[in-house]
Amino acid sequence: MPFVRKPTQPAGHAKPGAAEVLTGLGSAIAEERWTAARAAAELPESAAALAAALPQETDSRVREAIFTSLARIGTRDSVAAMLPMLRSDDAALRTGALDALRSSVIAAHELLPQLLNDPDVDVRILSCELARSLPNEEASRSLCALLAREAELNVCAAAVEVLAEVGNDSALPSLAQCARRFAQVPFLSFAIRLATDRITAAGSRG
Amino acid sequence: MAERPTLTEDEFRRLTEYLYRRTGMVFTEAKRYYVERRLWERMAVTDSESFASYFARLRTDTHEEIQQFVNAFTVNETYFYREDYQLKCLTNDLLKERVSDKHAGEAIRIWSAACSTGEEPYSIAMWLLENWPRVDEYFIEIVGSDIDTHVLELARAGTFSKRALMRLPPELIAKYFEALPAEQWQIAAELRDSVSFTSVNLVQPDDTRRHGQFDVIFCRNVLIYFDDASRRIAAENLYDNLLPGGFICLGHTETMSRISPLFSARRFADAIVYQRPGITES
Repeated sequence: MPFVRKPTQPAGHAKPGAAEVLTGLGSAIAEERWTAARAAAELPESAAALAAALPQETDSRVREAIFTSLARIGTRDSVAAMLPMLRSDDAALRTGALDALRSSVIAAHELLPQLLNDPDVDVRILSCELARSLPNEEASRSLCALLAREAELNVCAAAVEVLAEVGNDSALPSLAQCARRFAQVPFLSFAIRLATDRITAAGSRG
Repeated sequence: MAERPTLTEDEFRRLTEYLYRRTGMVFTEAKRYYVERRLWERMAVTDSESFASYFARLRTDTHEEIQQFVNAFTVNETYFYREDYQLKCLTNDLLKERVSDKHAGEAIRIWSAACSTGEEPYSIAMWLLENWPRVDEYFIEIVGSDIDTHVLELARAGTFSKRALMRLPPELIAKYFEALPAEQWQIAAELRDSVSFTSVNLVQPDDTRRHGQFDVIFCRNVLIYFDDASRRIAAENLYDNLLPGGFICLGHTETMSRISPLFSARRFADAIVYQRPGITES
């Protein structure tokens, strides 16, 4: 038999400690920054260093690890450190932040109301996606409240898209009101009709 | 025996959160019956009178109850040569790339992550013996792992039912298995001795790190049980467990692109697989 049972490769390196993580995050070598960023997830005290490293990190792989670790640390501060990235001009950075925030319970529960009120239209659009992480009832409530006050067409469209999947009967009046406000916008009227049909059909299935 | 309690909302949440923190597996209210059934089984086995007494036992890990509890929640349905198009891809394309800069006698490491009762790693071994002419030129290490320690014991024993063998042609069954009473078959001792089995929790970096790096990882129909947060962690762990240029095969309904941007998708004649970018990437 050509197979061998004993390991042909030594076990991976031991994980670095707090001091090594801080040094590693500032290393010129991407591999070392990657290792440090990953290890930082188990060292909540390194959240500030991760947050500081994020905007200057150029390696997309290391950035991904920083996002994951900030989400894993999971404190309000570590999650809040990702929010400025939602305003980045770099689409990869915005998407990376959104994906990481989506995996954070704190982001959805505690920071969503503030994000849905953010003065930046793009942040409000991206934040609609975060509502998917909430229980359906709560997501529906948050997005309906947004629809009631939102003047920006594209934010409403993003909210309607999520409502089509998570909304329940109680969302129908808000959708109808939004449809009336934007009656002159065919694509939004279509999206609202679609969302309304889906919610109604889901409701009739029980 | 204890009554079969219906969990209150709070109890259900505490239990599923505990399971999530331990394993990364997510069970929502929609899976309440599935969860309660497994809880009742464990309560019966441990003679627990109430949810509170069982949960206390679980949290203190009395008689290693945590592992038994985790074992009860894993899904272990599999069979030999499942999704064999990926095995074709392994021998037609993946290994060809992996050995392009290896010399004869070097090691090729293959990991069957979440191998359940062993059908997948044994399938890989059989497939290589049957379909890869260069199999004798290298030292091939096949590791099977699972979070469920009970199924690993079964995997090491290598005894299977008729159902597990349903995709295998009779000549392969005759060649690699010994018939036992009660329609059971045991895989040949040479193959049992060829695969090592070990317990690994894919969302625990300490657990995955100790196994080093592999040329090819099979991680099929596992990540679907995780939520977004656990999937990200597992993907990063798996990335670290791949050699640069190494490949990871997911189940046919899964796509790494929705989980992590770390890997490059590669389309081969038989399958789409994901690759850790590296020196051998083409």
